[in-house]
Amino acid sequence: MPVLNSKELRIVGFLCNWCAYGGADTAGVARAGQPTDLRIIRVPCSGRVDPLFVLKALLEGADGVLVSGCHPRDCHYAAGNFYARRRLEVLKRFLPVLGIDDARFEYAWVSASEGQRWQHVVTSFTKRIHAMGPAPHFDDAKPLLRVADMALTALRPLGTAQNAAVNELKQVIKDKLPELNCVIGWQQGYDGAHATPLFMKTPEDVDKLSWGPFNVMNPAVYLPLFKGKKTGVVVKGCDSRSVVELLQENLIKREDVIIFALPCEGTLDIARVNEKLGRYTRINAVAYDEAGVTITADGKEHRFCMNDFAQGKCYGCATPMAVLADTRLGEPHKVNPVSSVPPELAMLDDMALSERMAFWRGQMERCLRCYACRNACPMCVCRDYCVSDSRNPHWMSQDADINQKLFFQTIHALHLSGRCTGCGECQRACPVGIPILALRQQIARAVAQLFDDYKAGLNPAALPPLLGYEAHEKNIHERDWK
Amino acid sequence: MRIGIFICHCGSNIAGTVDCARVAEISTGFPDVVYATDPVYTCAEPGQAAIEAAIHDHRLDGVVVASCSPRMHEPTFRRTVERAGLNRYLFEMANIREHVSWIGKDRDANTNKAAELVKMAVAKLRNNRPLLAKSFEVNKKVLIVGGGVAGIQAALDCADGGVPVILLERESTIGGKMAKLDKTFPTVDCSACILGPKMVDVAQHPNITLYAYSELEDISGYIGNFTVKIRKRATYVNWEKCTGCGACSEKCPSKKTPDTFNELTGVTTAINIPFPQAIPKKAVISAEHCRQLTKGKCGVCAKICPTGAVVYDMQDDVVTEEVGCIIAATGYDLMDWTVYREYGGGQYPDVITSLQYERLLSTSGPTGGHIRRPSDGLEPKHIVFIQCVGSRDKSVGRPYCSGFCCMYTAKQAVLTKDHLPFSQSYVFYMDIRAPGKLYDEFTRRAVEEYGVEYIRGRVSAVYPDGEGAYVVMGVDTLLGRSVEIKADIVVLAVGIEASRGAAALAEKLRISYDNYGFFMESHVKLKPVETNTAGVFLAGVCQGAKDIPASVAQGSATAAKVLALFARDRLENDPQTAQVDTRRCVGCGKCIRCCPFGALKETTIRGEIKADVIETVCQGCGLCTTTCPQGAVQLSHATDNQILAEVNALCRC
Amino acid sequence: MSTIRILASDGLPAFLSFLSQKHQRVLVPVVKSANKRSVIFEPWRAGMPVVLEKATVPPKEAVLPQCETLLTYKKSKNQEDLGDITVSLDDTPEALSTAIFACRPCDARGFRVLDRPFLNGLFPDPYYKARRESLTVFTITCSSGCNTCFCHWVGGGPSSPEGSDVLMTKIEEALMLQAISPAGEALLKDCDLPDGRDIFPRAEAARKAAWASLAPAPDLKQAPQKIAALFGNDDFWQSQTSGCLSCGACTYLCPACYCFNITDEGDGFGVHGGRRLRSWDNCMSSLFTHEASGHNPRMLKTPRMRNRVSHKFSTYPENWGTFSCNGCGRCISNCPVSLDIRAIVLAALDNAG
Repeated sequence: MPVLNSKELRIVGFLCNWCAYGGADTAGVARAGQPTDLRIIRVPCSGRVDPLFVLKALLEGADGVLVSGCHPRDCHYAAGNFYARRRLEVLKRFLPVLGIDDARFEYAWVSASEGQRWQHVVTSFTKRIHAMGPAPHFDDAKPLLRVADMALTALRPLGTAQNAAVNELKQVIKDKLPELNCVIGWQQGYDGAHATPLFMKTPEDVDKLSWGPFNVMNPAVYLPLFKGKKTGVVVKGCDSRSVVELLQENLIKREDVIIFALPCEGTLDIARVNEKLGRYTRINAVAYDEAGVTITADGKEHRFCMNDFAQGKCYGCATPMAVLADTRLGEPHKVNPVSSVPPELAMLDDMALSERMAFWRGQMERCLRCYACRNACPMCVCRDYCVSDSRNPHWMSQDADINQKLFFQTIHALHLSGRCTGCGECQRACPVGIPILALRQQIARAVAQLFDDYKAGLNPAALPPLLGYEAHEKNIHERDWK
Repeated sequence: MRIGIFICHCGSNIAGTVDCARVAEISTGFPDVVYATDPVYTCAEPGQAAIEAAIHDHRLDGVVVASCSPRMHEPTFRRTVERAGLNRYLFEMANIREHVSWIGKDRDANTNKAAELVKMAVAKLRNNRPLLAKSFEVNKKVLIVGGGVAGIQAALDCADGGVPVILLERESTIGGKMAKLDKTFPTVDCSACILGPKMVDVAQHPNITLYAYSELEDISGYIGNFTVKIRKRATYVNWEKCTGCGACSEKCPSKKTPDTFNELTGVTTAINIPFPQAIPKKAVISAEHCRQLTKGKCGVCAKICPTGAVVYDMQDDVVTEEVGCIIAATGYDLMDWTVYREYGGGQYPDVITSLQYERLLSTSGPTGGHIRRPSDGLEPKHIVFIQCVGSRDKSVGRPYCSGFCCMYTAKQAVLTKDHLPFSQSYVFYMDIRAPGKLYDEFTRRAVEEYGVEYIRGRVSAVYPDGEGAYVVMGVDTLLGRSVEIKADIVVLAVGIEASRGAAALAEKLRISYDNYGFFMESHVKLKPVETNTAGVFLAGVCQGAKDIPASVAQGSATAAKVLALFARDRLENDPQTAQVDTRRCVGCGKCIRCCPFGALKETTIRGEIKADVIETVCQGCGLCTTTCPQGAVQLSHATDNQILAEVNALCRC
Repeated sequence: MSTIRILASDGLPAFLSFLSQKHQRVLVPVVKSANKRSVIFEPWRAGMPVVLEKATVPPKEAVLPQCETLLTYKKSKNQEDLGDITVSLDDTPEALSTAIFACRPCDARGFRVLDRPFLNGLFPDPYYKARRESLTVFTITCSSGCNTCFCHWVGGGPSSPEGSDVLMTKIEEALMLQAISPAGEALLKDCDLPDGRDIFPRAEAARKAAWASLAPAPDLKQAPQKIAALFGNDDFWQSQTSGCLSCGACTYLCPACYCFNITDEGDGFGVHGGRRLRSWDNCMSSLFTHEASGHNPRMLKTPRMRNRVSHKFSTYPENWGTFSCNGCGRCISNCPVSLDIRAIVLAALDNAG
């Protein structure tokens, strides 16, 4: 059905049965006139409103979405709206990075007796949406391509970790090997510029262990597969945060994992290395020095200084050494604790909303839905039961359109709320180089802003902020509907 | 499916601004809709009969009624379709009255909106599944938390109805606040005389088990089958042996123990029985003040006790009881009035609370019922009562009215005149709230017969006059001038708040509470004694300020709820509960962490940890469904697919 | 000798414009800038900068789109009896006549791999067939091997003409175009490019040089039997699979993978009706073999890897006499954990032998 004579805009409401829906009823009983645009979906509790419903509606053509539930403390189910408040606020701060105006989404608390308040909320929200006009759509945006500025200053000296105590570590691992199912680490891959995972079971395997700037993969991704088997893992600082997060979420058990750590001096952005190397048939030599790597390919030397070719995440890394480990060998460089905005996020911050929409349009077009991003993510533990491939629940179709592709990225990002450690594997794994990490980084930034600078993966005993609530939220303030 | 659509005119309520026939016509184009009509009154008997007939005639297996709010008639129509042989959950409602016809005047827009709401309802219905309630046995035993007058009344009514009662009281005696009162308004009956017999009945009733000096430790389970753990605090006296003779108390050398029963207006002994009519009438040792327990030497009471009941090494004991439902009757406490620095903030001995004054009036109180100033023991001549100290005062965060202060202040002023015929009482008040039976008459008597001087206005300061009395500075807003009154005693009508520990108890009971700790009833008008947790009821002031008759009435009301519940041998759950798809579940336990009701637990299926829903505990909020990233937990009747169907029906057009 | 033309670098837009007149779309490799540079085939429009590099994603989409609508359906009701529903179908294949410009020999050979199952047998796939029959492939030969390529292991090579209509070789700044198929002949004859017969020897030399740059290929003749023999060797496959993340980067970037899934979307009513979609599927995903009963014969990633490698190097060759791997190496260079199918095949040869 077309929106009536273009007079109306499409506004979707999700209302809890007990308060807001009752408030809307009360408004009706009082004949409190309201604009006709809003269509209400009744849910048991605002806690039932998955932020993804809101996103789904916005991507599928809604011009505005309003969620309403009981006032804090009045929840029919005691705490549903407390959880909703956190999740919806994170969503609100996430929308702009996509290029969606967050004013198109709002949540409001209305009790069953507050007919007048409901009338006021609906009227002012509808007015607001009309003032903004019909929502722009991703399919209509003109693709925009832009590359993040990678000229960055790291929080600590980047290097190639040539002094790391790899040999000592190998001995420690060999000593521990008999009690372990295996130890996960890295080895040289198909050539000297590519590493591949190593699963050490014998002392000979341990000798293959490599340590250095090519060790880009996050070995934590494998740990849940070994659930119940005592497994060792060699980690960089960033990898250890994933291990901590897995522990925090009870997806692995502390007694089942032995963590070995060396100080990390940064890893190479293999995509940019490959781009500079160009097409080559074979690598003749890889030479390391303090500041970088020299790769000789087909007889030609290429110099890669760590300061210029590190992964984006490494510049802002504040955890060069594992935050949790059973064996730590060596001292990491001191980190200068300055907060920095990751390069891709900084690029988006500088764009207008319409540019961001055009940017994602331009980027997501080439997504193949291979789900390398998802499968490389150590926190994606749904694995074979991801909702992206499911009919029940049927969140997505198999269409290769921009909305489906982008919707999956928002599912991933929102499911990572308060959980993403920023390891960047999603983006690194993407075969077509879509800068999807920025979406996760925006969620992480929102979570840090809202919940006392919370960062995922630092403390195994912490309660993830989206799995908890405070009756009085310090940083979430109710909108003024006056 | 074969879906039938009924677009109700509701007389002219809907048809006035919605073209119902047009909506019905549009509806025929929706998927699976095989029948659509627009009756004038769908909820009326002929309307319901028409639905039943249509279900039979058109072999409908799903029905959508577009009419008023589902909060009004969803239960009605569910029964209708059930009578015709359909599962009650193969029914959906579109609210085209409160949400359409009553709030918009544009007929075209309303008609279009109504049709879209029907479209959404159809989309949802096509994803509905029949749901069947499960039945379970009921443990016909009730736990009552709090032995004040509300709890006592509930206990007696339940017990008289044949239900075994466990009555839990935190203090060493039941009676609550009412036991501390001297007289009650408006009849000036002796409080102890009217409450006493009820307390004795509690002690003697074969169906009542009383746990005094005990607290609720833990609670699990669900309506019909709660398991409660009760912590019996150590009394250091074997109550099986204690006869309540009081010999121990007479000889106890620790005579400076603060007397909490007397609201700290006097002192008592470390071992004592709070008052003569206490139930149970058993001694308790205050561990902080007993010389034997603090210094390890004394033992006088043990020597004197004729039955050898004193046990200095007694420990807390935790007992477990199984009950079918719970009544919370935990009453209130006074708010911390010392925030009123202008009234001395607790520094002046003769500025006291109304409850302390009540003890001064009481024959069982520290002064034997003679009104004497706490500072020097002299009889006061001028008594000033200040009302609304911590009530209706946003500046101290107490916006609400404590309900009964106006009345007891009048009562105390009247009693003061009875006790001290030459005294003069003054009452500073904001408004006199006396809406009960004979209440207004009573306050008038205070003024007219007892010469109490009522001054409408707030008091700005109370300070000592240097000669042993106090100056009360206030304003008389009726005369528009400031007043200064000399007072020998100042009595503050201190506002109430939920009793200490109420919030913690609410969390154990999984019920909601407001900012002041008062428990939330299920519906402010229509379900005043129920909570949103099935099987938990509320009686007395724990739900909000009320006086004795209202508390007693609520006590009886909860008993009626309990007896009605226990009239059935089995209960049925609401099948709108969460369900776990164990294949999708990865056992991360996020749903378990979030569930407000503890309705999810871990289970092991073929060696793998999975979430499992305790269907009888699940209240159907769906927080787990929102929390589960892989959609493994789905709330029946509000599944992801059902809500997505509505979103898609609306947005993909 | 077949028709040979020469295309100067500045003549490229004009030639693409010529191709656009002959085809509904001309797919050309363009650069997509991001943190990682990728080269993607896109429909050419005037002014679009074209790069003659090997594309990140092969041009398989030209014949087997990531997602296509196999049919649309509309349901209509009999107004006399609303339960009586008529369904109308539209299953006309969507087939734009397409020219692919500047794919690589491995990509062109990929179409041949797809042709065998889709065009043969009792039920040729009408959707594939319609697109394939209107496809013209302009292949550019490779000037050298690359670190992950191994086309010459599997029957191809840097200048293999298989699957191409026109084979192009870069000579300095110009391209020599050589007709391979009758369709290519016709096109080149039709265009107004100058004859390039005289530079053919230079092209031949460049092609030889490319061959010479390749490391010697191992003999894979025994691969089908040896891999088949490893079917029950769980330890072997386990050791080759540990690092696999079960994503679809290898299969979705493979010019020779053709598995698909079919789903229906929409209820059939309203303006949108309903659609039956065919979308790429990925044998490395657990859901690939998830049966309706709930049973899943390849629940673990090990048998899935075994299946993928076996299909390419054993079962497909059993059926069609050639590998269903063209050695383009995209599965290696794009694997998030740098797994190497060459190593698996070599290990299989080694293990069984």
